[in-house]
Amino acid sequence: MSLSAATEELKIDWSIQEDEDRIGEFQGRIDRRELVEPGDWMPHNYRVGMLRVAEHHANSEIVGALPEGEWITRAPSLRRKLALIAKVQDEVGHGQMLYRVSQDLGKTRDQMLRDLITGKTRYHNVFNYPAPTWADVAMIQWLIDGAAILNQKSLAEGSCGPYIRIMKRINMEEAFHFKSGEDMVLTLMSGTRRQKQMCQEAFDRWWWPTIMFFGPPDKESTKTGPFMVWRIKTATNDTLRQKFIDRFVPAALDLGLKIHISVKDENGIIKRKPDGTLDQIEDPELRYDEEAGHWRFSRPDWDEFYRVINGDGPCNKQRVALRRFSYEQGAWVRRTVLGQYAGLPPSRN
Amino acid sequence: MNTVPDNLKTPLVELLLTVADDKLMLGHRNSDWTGLAPILEEDIAFSSLAQDEIAHAAEFYKLAADLLESDPDKLAYGRKPDEYRCAAVVELPDEFDWSVAIARQFFCDHFDLLRLERLAGSSYKPLAALAKRLVAEERVHVEHADRWIRHLGGGDDDARQKTQAALDKLAPHAAMLFEPTIGQSELEAAGVYPAGKRDMFEQWSADLCAVAKDADVRLEVSRPPAGASGGRSGKHSQAFAGLLDEMCEVYRIEPEAAW
Amino acid sequence: MSKVRECVPERTGELDFPVEGDFKHYEVFTQLEHGKRHVHAGHVDAPDPRMALLYARQHYGRDEPCVNMWVVPSDAILSANDDQDVIWPRTDQSYRHVRGYKDIRSRWKEFRRECDIEEYQKEDLKEAF
Repeated sequence: MSLSAATEELKIDWSIQEDEDRIGEFQGRIDRRELVEPGDWMPHNYRVGMLRVAEHHANSEIVGALPEGEWITRAPSLRRKLALIAKVQDEVGHGQMLYRVSQDLGKTRDQMLRDLITGKTRYHNVFNYPAPTWADVAMIQWLIDGAAILNQKSLAEGSCGPYIRIMKRINMEEAFHFKSGEDMVLTLMSGTRRQKQMCQEAFDRWWWPTIMFFGPPDKESTKTGPFMVWRIKTATNDTLRQKFIDRFVPAALDLGLKIHISVKDENGIIKRKPDGTLDQIEDPELRYDEEAGHWRFSRPDWDEFYRVINGDGPCNKQRVALRRFSYEQGAWVRRTVLGQYAGLPPSRN
Repeated sequence: MNTVPDNLKTPLVELLLTVADDKLMLGHRNSDWTGLAPILEEDIAFSSLAQDEIAHAAEFYKLAADLLESDPDKLAYGRKPDEYRCAAVVELPDEFDWSVAIARQFFCDHFDLLRLERLAGSSYKPLAALAKRLVAEERVHVEHADRWIRHLGGGDDDARQKTQAALDKLAPHAAMLFEPTIGQSELEAAGVYPAGKRDMFEQWSADLCAVAKDADVRLEVSRPPAGASGGRSGKHSQAFAGLLDEMCEVYRIEPEAAW
Repeated sequence: MSKVRECVPERTGELDFPVEGDFKHYEVFTQLEHGKRHVHAGHVDAPDPRMALLYARQHYGRDEPCVNMWVVPSDAILSANDDQDVIWPRTDQSYRHVRGYKDIRSRWKEFRRECDIEEYQKEDLKEAF
């Protein structure tokens, strides 16, 4: 059993004085695109920054398993059921591998899980939205996994050896998630009127959260900040967002999907007007900018983004509560096996 | 033989559906743990085992579907509740209590292993070939369940009590795994479902008790009462209707559509 | 969705049981084909070596077809790092590698015809160059 480093040691602190020669040498390695390994010397803030990135990523994977996990028991065919279990299982597997990166950088997994379920650390905002129909599963796998692959491909260009090795592996698995998502979306959009309707409504729910998936608009400071210089991050939010838009807008339009701006209630469900129709309009800014070679779109609702990230999204409480339930419910099981390992003679193992 | 005589067709379909339904419902219950198991590594492992169960079920549905000129999804999703053949022990919810989930695995995996070993000797070639292919996977399941029973039983008082309670709760239901399927004796006589080296119940009971003894928990299992009729005859637990409604929620929106 | 997932009790604040700590770490190596070497595939945390192997099989053994697997306690691995501990000597090592003998072919030319050298060198171990 390994114990975690004291929590205060794991905070970003720019006042720390470190040997300038070593920092220079370290920067040289980063610039030569050498990879940093856990046993290597690294600046304190690099260690903490990387640990945070990997921890947040791991948290996002295991919380990300929840919205789709709700649909495992309801998947409509044997093959879809198997694929969905495997997909959600992969998320847990990614979480397991990513926690190990942070474990190697100095924090125990147990502490990370506890911090997650007591609200001390965060996970990706996008998982605070609800998945009320089967078509939402399709959209999560198509849009969110599509966005995640773009993001992770850029993260795989980073400088932390163990993290990027896992990122490459994760991307291989996400490729199956994405194909499975495409398969479901194509099936629904080739299906009955009802299935198409279901698909459009799920698309409406997930489109803007996916656009905001890449994080808030770039500030000048982030482009030159230490995390970019150390190659913890390698591409800016807006660059990745535009890449996503340029790939998915034409695909969605070709499928017959409409890109709407919708009014949603506090549960994340699109409101209806008195006449029963959905309260939404087609995105008025959506057009292809020939000159720039990019698709243009409306400004996402960043107020909503900050509201959700600060805990007031449709599902924040529910997601954390379910993770906490799982942790508390399993405590006696872990205690049992941990206790036994400590006391058992090797012959019984 | 590669084809079934007409008089054995119905009993064989009953048997195939029984195996498939047991495995599907067990996999269905277990798969709900994905993302919520007590240890991340166990979460991944348990989810793999749930996938195995459902993949096995799909193969048995395929054999039945070939005989019925139906398709596996229709059989899995499209029957009325009293047309399912699973035993009560796979239908019960576990309320995310790990001791119950493991006790259920323990009873069912041991049973499934012995059943597959018998089926591997079937005179109906497609069935024998399938069972031979799956039996090694089932052994992995048994190893997993046994290891956990030993771990939990070997824990502190709290752990042992929980495990004991789960075994006590499930044992009576588990007995009904042995309720004969409709026409089972005809299949046995024709070698389609040949007997094992030892009486299957005795073997099952001996295997379970050996592990229980090791794990320091009590275990009493009995044969189903004579004439008792349960899942194999389409009579299901209260929990089953709810399970089926949930499982088929999306399928039933448009049963004829592709999903 | 299952009832438990739907109606989870909302509990906040600190947990009422102590920090548990982590299980022991194990490294996982897989052999993807008979005759090939084992390669590092990942890691698992597990309560004991048997469970580690079981977990490794169900996790890393399912990524791609795999014929053999090892699990090793991570703390059984000692490592040296070329940063601080010299692994590769700092002096010229060309004397012990094929690349240190690049002029051999031209030296043969003083004695033999090009086609004879060609024929003779066919048996050289290609992968060593």
